[in-house]
Amino acid sequence: MPDPLLEVEGLSKRFGGLLANQDVTFAIYPGEVVGLIGPNGAGKTTLFNCITGFYRPDGGRVRFEGVDITGWPPDKICRAGIARTFQVVRVFRGLTAFENVMVGALLRHPNPSRAAEVARKILDLTGLSAHADELVDGLPIALKKRVEMARSLATGPKLLLLDEVMAGLNPRERQAAVELVRRVRSELGVTVLMVEHVMEVVMPLSDRVIVLDFGVKIAEGRPQEIINNPEVIKAYLGERYAARFGRLGGV
Amino acid sequence: MVRGRLLPAAGLGVLLVGLIFFPLVVTLPYPQHVMILIFLYAMMGLAWNIIGGYAGQVSLGDATYFGIGAYTTVILLRDLGLSPWVGMLVGAVNAVVVSVILGYPCFRVRGHYFAIATIALNEIVATIFTNWEYVGGAVGIYVPILPESFINLQFHRSKAPYYYIALGMLIGVILLNVWVGRSRLGYYFRAIRADQDAARSLGIDITRYKMIAYAMTAALTSLGGSFYSMYVLYIDPTSVFAFSISLLVVLVAVLGGVGTVAGPIIGSVILISLSEGTRVLLGGTGRALDVAIYGLLVMAISVLQPYGIVAWVRSLRRPRKPREVKVAGPAA
Amino acid sequence: MTAELLVQVVVSGLLIGFVFALISVGLTLIFGVMDIVNFAHGEFLMLAMFAAFWLYALFGVDPVFSVLVCGPLLFTVGVLTHKILIRHILNAPMLAQIFCTFGLSVFLKSLAQFLWGPNFRSITEPLLGGRVEIFGVFFGLPQVAAALGAVLATGAVYLLIYRTELGRALQATSEDKETAALMGIDTEKMFTLAWGIGAACVGVAGALLSMFYYIYPEVGAVFALTSYVVVALGGFGSVTGALIGGLIIGLVQVVAGFITPAFKMVVVYLVYMGVILWRPQGLFGRW
Repeated sequence: MPDPLLEVEGLSKRFGGLLANQDVTFAIYPGEVVGLIGPNGAGKTTLFNCITGFYRPDGGRVRFEGVDITGWPPDKICRAGIARTFQVVRVFRGLTAFENVMVGALLRHPNPSRAAEVARKILDLTGLSAHADELVDGLPIALKKRVEMARSLATGPKLLLLDEVMAGLNPRERQAAVELVRRVRSELGVTVLMVEHVMEVVMPLSDRVIVLDFGVKIAEGRPQEIINNPEVIKAYLGERYAARFGRLGGV
Repeated sequence: MVRGRLLPAAGLGVLLVGLIFFPLVVTLPYPQHVMILIFLYAMMGLAWNIIGGYAGQVSLGDATYFGIGAYTTVILLRDLGLSPWVGMLVGAVNAVVVSVILGYPCFRVRGHYFAIATIALNEIVATIFTNWEYVGGAVGIYVPILPESFINLQFHRSKAPYYYIALGMLIGVILLNVWVGRSRLGYYFRAIRADQDAARSLGIDITRYKMIAYAMTAALTSLGGSFYSMYVLYIDPTSVFAFSISLLVVLVAVLGGVGTVAGPIIGSVILISLSEGTRVLLGGTGRALDVAIYGLLVMAISVLQPYGIVAWVRSLRRPRKPREVKVAGPAA
Repeated sequence: MTAELLVQVVVSGLLIGFVFALISVGLTLIFGVMDIVNFAHGEFLMLAMFAAFWLYALFGVDPVFSVLVCGPLLFTVGVLTHKILIRHILNAPMLAQIFCTFGLSVFLKSLAQFLWGPNFRSITEPLLGGRVEIFGVFFGLPQVAAALGAVLATGAVYLLIYRTELGRALQATSEDKETAALMGIDTEKMFTLAWGIGAACVGVAGALLSMFYYIYPEVGAVFALTSYVVVALGGFGSVTGALIGGLIIGLVQVVAGFITPAFKMVVVYLVYMGVILWRPQGLFGRW
């Protein structure tokens, strides 16, 4: 078993009286695609924010490539190799898709012409070349999300945290997004941790799945194991879904 | 955000030639004076553009740096006999230092703290200089008169050399703005302005870059003050730390078009003409009235078209047609 | 430092501090409910002071009674400001929001200068003139009366916010606009009220100040700056913070004015920078 890329140990975060994350522990290994699921309010985005430095955890540690990054500011964490997207898409309005991705590319390539090469390559990979010079303000949500992903990828991360990329997409757009995540892993070698609600996407795409409920990790394992886990079914999936997905067999 | 679009090169060339020949054709001092003011404020508006237009942080007290530039230049000349060009450089350094001291605490917190701090600093610095004997207190300093020369940055027979120097400085700042816009700095500034948290998630240390932007604004504005001191040959706290300077600089940039290169230039032409126009027409009372008009303009802009004249013109030119954007299928 | 001196400094600081508190309560209320800093707050104060002055100069109305006029007058000004201007920039970028009230501030200040000239005016024979003795030291009766008036007004606002249903609605809107709207609170009305009450606070403060302070177009700027510092110290959005912060800054200003009269505002400014450096959320702030 190779060394873990990301280790989260006993992570806790509270907001006043609410314990959003309680003693969460797991590890992500290089090359994986891991899904993070759970009902709304389970603490998934809070967990992301703790890992990426937007919140300071109240307890526990986060280690990346063996280095303790707990409490680091977000920009330092990005430079270390973790990139993220946001649940509500946050592209830079007033800039084109190309310019958005440039901002990401300039991190590792301060020279604007070199960064432009990297940006164009990423735009190609993510299928955005046709829209490169359009202002993102006018793009539909599916493309905005893709620009955000491309922008994060341009920073050359080792680990990419995706926060509900599938939300608001129709089935055809979803299929494209799934392909994209697969390519991100295979062509760029980026490890992915994704928060998702859309089970049709998470189960086929993930090597492993982690389940949160009320801030606590209640299950972890391969998709098939998770599907059949009674805790998970009770908390989140529901009996009918489990039966249905079991029947479809996943892919 | 609006991107600057270059006029056809030919048009620019004609304009430049016209500007170069202007003082040779129009030899009366008053029109030359108005042009110098236009250049000066265009330059400072472009300076403000870096912190306000690119980086999106609202600075309302840039007269602080104008005054620092002016006083540094004059004091170095008076006490050490140093050329005003040296004074300009040192003034810029002083301005940067002050901007860092103000910026460091403020840029780590929300924008309105900074805005308030810039106004406060403007008042404080004026108070300090008014009560400081060494710099002449409220009376100010009469700049030592030197023989006319480029090194001395003083000319007594004609305003034309001042005109060319101001024009040169303006062109320099324009080129700097264009360069910044295309560089990593420019991208990072605009990212900070668009969405600070998203910028941080991309590895940008927003405090550091805000401070860089502000330092640039401070340095360039102080250059304006240094020039002014050698042009007017008398400085005092009321004239170089005046809130009206801060206001006019902001207005020039905002009226014309925040974040563009053409914007502050257009803004300066309009506002200086307005200012001089009301002064000529209305005399003394006109002073307060034109500031009142500035206030109205700022309010109107904020409500109607925060992005200024350039954006408004652009919206008139570009026909609005609904764009059909197809979501790309699986990439080829 | 003798006991007399101590009493003089502390009581003076508290007296003016109560007035700062009232002014700052208005500012913090507007920010709390709308997330907008009113850069024209000082000019609202200036308008109230001039209103009190003209009532005195033209009709012989003493500031004590003008308080009853200036409060509602500025309430109307606040409401109008919201209806005509602020309503349009509620969702605008911060740049536009700052410029809007900043532009208003500039406009009001220069309009006052244009209409009434830059000269200093004062109300020379207020009803509550003369001196009063506290702990063996003499203080101006106007200052004491102003402080009392400020205490009453601040107390009234405090009761309004924390003890009435309307106040609870304001608190809810300030905490979370969207949810408040979903709960059936008319947020537009809340915004208008915030501006009205916030301006009314300075309206009362202005009338009180006119009893002993010089009245001129620039007077707003001095008090505005002080109230920004108070609000930062107390915490943006916190009424309690504005009260306590006002008292603290009142004391700071008087002590600083005692030690270095020319640079006392520099000291206040340093306090501001200190707050930003060490505790940006202030004493009672929300974030």
